[in-house]
Amino acid sequence: MANLNTRARRKNGYDAIVVGSGITGGWAAKELTEKGLKTLVLERGRMVKHLEDYPTATMSPWEAQYPGGRLPPADLKAHYRVQQRTGYTITEYTRPFFVKDDEHPYTETQRFDWIRGYHVGGRSLQWARQTYRHSPMDFEANAREGVAVDWPIRYEDLAPWYDYVERFIGVSGQSEGLAHLPDSLFQPPMEMNCVEKHLKAQVEAKIPDRRITIGRVAHLTAPTEEQLALGRGKCQNRNLCIRGCPFGAYFSSNSATLPAAERTGNLTLRPDSIVTSLILDERKGKATGVRVKDAVTGEETEFYADVIFLCASAINTAWIMLNSTSKRFPNGFGNDSDQVGRNIMDHHLGVGAQAAAPGYEEMYYSGRRPNGIYIPRFRNLGDKASARSDYLRGFGYQGGAGRPGWERGLNGPGFGADRKAELTQPGPWAVRLGGFGEMLPYADNRMTLNTALKDQHGLPTITFDVSIRDNEKAMRKDMRLAAMEMLDAAGFKNVIGGDTGYGPGLGIHEMGTARMGRDPKTSVLNAHNQVHACRNVYVTDGAAMTSASCVNPSLTYMALTARAVDHAVAASRRGEL
Amino acid sequence: MRPFDLRNSPSRRDALIGAGLSFGALWATLILPSAASAQPTLTWIPKALTSAQALTLDAAVELIMPATDTPGARAAGVAPFIDRALATFYDPDQVKRLRDGLDTMQADAQAAYGMAFTALSAAQQTELLRRYDAEAAQKPLSHFFALMKQATFTGFFTSETGATKTLRYDPVPGDYRGCVPMKEIGRAWAT
Repeated sequence: MANLNTRARRKNGYDAIVVGSGITGGWAAKELTEKGLKTLVLERGRMVKHLEDYPTATMSPWEAQYPGGRLPPADLKAHYRVQQRTGYTITEYTRPFFVKDDEHPYTETQRFDWIRGYHVGGRSLQWARQTYRHSPMDFEANAREGVAVDWPIRYEDLAPWYDYVERFIGVSGQSEGLAHLPDSLFQPPMEMNCVEKHLKAQVEAKIPDRRITIGRVAHLTAPTEEQLALGRGKCQNRNLCIRGCPFGAYFSSNSATLPAAERTGNLTLRPDSIVTSLILDERKGKATGVRVKDAVTGEETEFYADVIFLCASAINTAWIMLNSTSKRFPNGFGNDSDQVGRNIMDHHLGVGAQAAAPGYEEMYYSGRRPNGIYIPRFRNLGDKASARSDYLRGFGYQGGAGRPGWERGLNGPGFGADRKAELTQPGPWAVRLGGFGEMLPYADNRMTLNTALKDQHGLPTITFDVSIRDNEKAMRKDMRLAAMEMLDAAGFKNVIGGDTGYGPGLGIHEMGTARMGRDPKTSVLNAHNQVHACRNVYVTDGAAMTSASCVNPSLTYMALTARAVDHAVAASRRGEL
Repeated sequence: MRPFDLRNSPSRRDALIGAGLSFGALWATLILPSAASAQPTLTWIPKALTSAQALTLDAAVELIMPATDTPGARAAGVAPFIDRALATFYDPDQVKRLRDGLDTMQADAQAAYGMAFTALSAAQQTELLRRYDAEAAQKPLSHFFALMKQATFTGFFTSETGATKTLRYDPVPGDYRGCVPMKEIGRAWAT
């Protein structure tokens, strides 16, 4: 890299700095180190080593400290006020991988569910692993509808990088040939169970615009040599993924990208390192490094590099930018457009339907498939038949069928030998569909720095003011009704539609806080994820998203990251950074 | 949305198995020696309960989840499991509800039969529990017996005995097979 002599004089100098070690930080680290750059990865949380630091991964139910592995209500109240809102994230088994809210406070002008994991690997360790490409339609929608700003890239720009990422991470799924849900490079799909196959056959026959496919997941079902060489193996269908996988069967930074980066010899990983701001050389108009506060000792250190990747998650990346003020950037780093911290999006969920599925009492299944079924978007696809007059964009469903176990007996009358015999058998088949809806970008859905409330390190905290609007609310009605319609079409019984409520953030897909765009006046990043006003800083996490699509976003973040690193290294070699 | 949360599923087997239980309970009262002749003793040291409460609980959990063709709650260590949960898990109001409930069981046994709960016959004990179960159905959020049953079911089915001998447990399934005849598997999966 350029200026070796200059940098050699510097203490703590690297070719590249990556802030964050989650799903995009891991990718940036892998790509940068494999291209020969000495790379420092700064992670605000503690070290989590693959395999070694998954303390609950192989625990049997009877090894739990608490009933059913649930945490005492008093603990939940004291430490997990927000983190428990999902209903599934905080248990005795998962506790090591989620923050305590009392240690990491923030302010909610309106309810905002900020679910966080501060540790090496970030939330790539606990993600739901659902993996879908955005479609051409997703990249064109803003421009076509006059919403917010246009994406500066199109599907074709990202397609080769989807291929590239998918080959490495491993994605199990079924090709469907849909323009609005492009196929990935798939490893063999997981199997549907009897009732899911019934649902698929009936719905596709009776409602021709619907397609039901098995969920697309970043699990290895036929590992490649490259994946095996990293110590990753085939999915064993334990469905305990959220504890960390002892087989390395699902993709995480810990199981895949960080080991790949480490084997290059170019990686330096520094946990417990909270990046508090970017350092700007006002004369050169370049970032020269970052300021770090040690989470354990409180010591402040500066690190320097030629190129910096912000991969700290949409919210924390925006926090770093807003907290990096200078004469050049009085409102936050790269924030000439005043868009940093705005346009917060998520996927709105918690609405759908469930039903009983009689007729398959003699059938069951074996293994705990860590996946469900997927129903791709079928509204507003650009044709007349799918057009809606009451809202823009659309939604997909995730769901599945199963037979409940003994837990169904926790409530209700009865005890003794008859109850025991009943609960020793699986319960009746039940099917559920839960919608994931696209949320539009709204400039006033934003986060701001709160200097009145400091965290334990004396750093400003965040205030959220985010809500869903009429478009999302109208969509939610359709999400409930369309789910009921499909369960009815399948001939299921006791079809119940419901909306259990949603707070922004609950989808754990926060994005949009430093959006890509064509115009520096209205966006923060350019088509290569460079900060418009400071080209050696790249932002490739969810912050970059110009619109949300309705599919799970991690694959797109990873593809954007790999593409941005490719650009950064080439640009750097050309002396353009 | 919580998956697979359809409550109160109708059981096709209630009538048949209910009849079996009645016969079993009757047989127990006729043939087995009265429990009163040999006071049971605890084989574990309670942390949150008095000895009397622990003895009552130990008897109750075995009636709630009895040994049948597979081991029951006593063999699975459910009473000490609940005692530990009372000491470390439950909120104070839940602890009080369960402890008071155990005292109520004792008082009701004295009032009805002039004996400790543990000294009653299985039929007499079952009679009392049926009463509590009917009350709990009316007040599921506040009745001690609803809590006791939840704790017993959880303790039993998550125990090694309950999960592996009464249910089926496979820590590492390997493959997923989506459509398998029930008779090949036989029982519900523990997890």
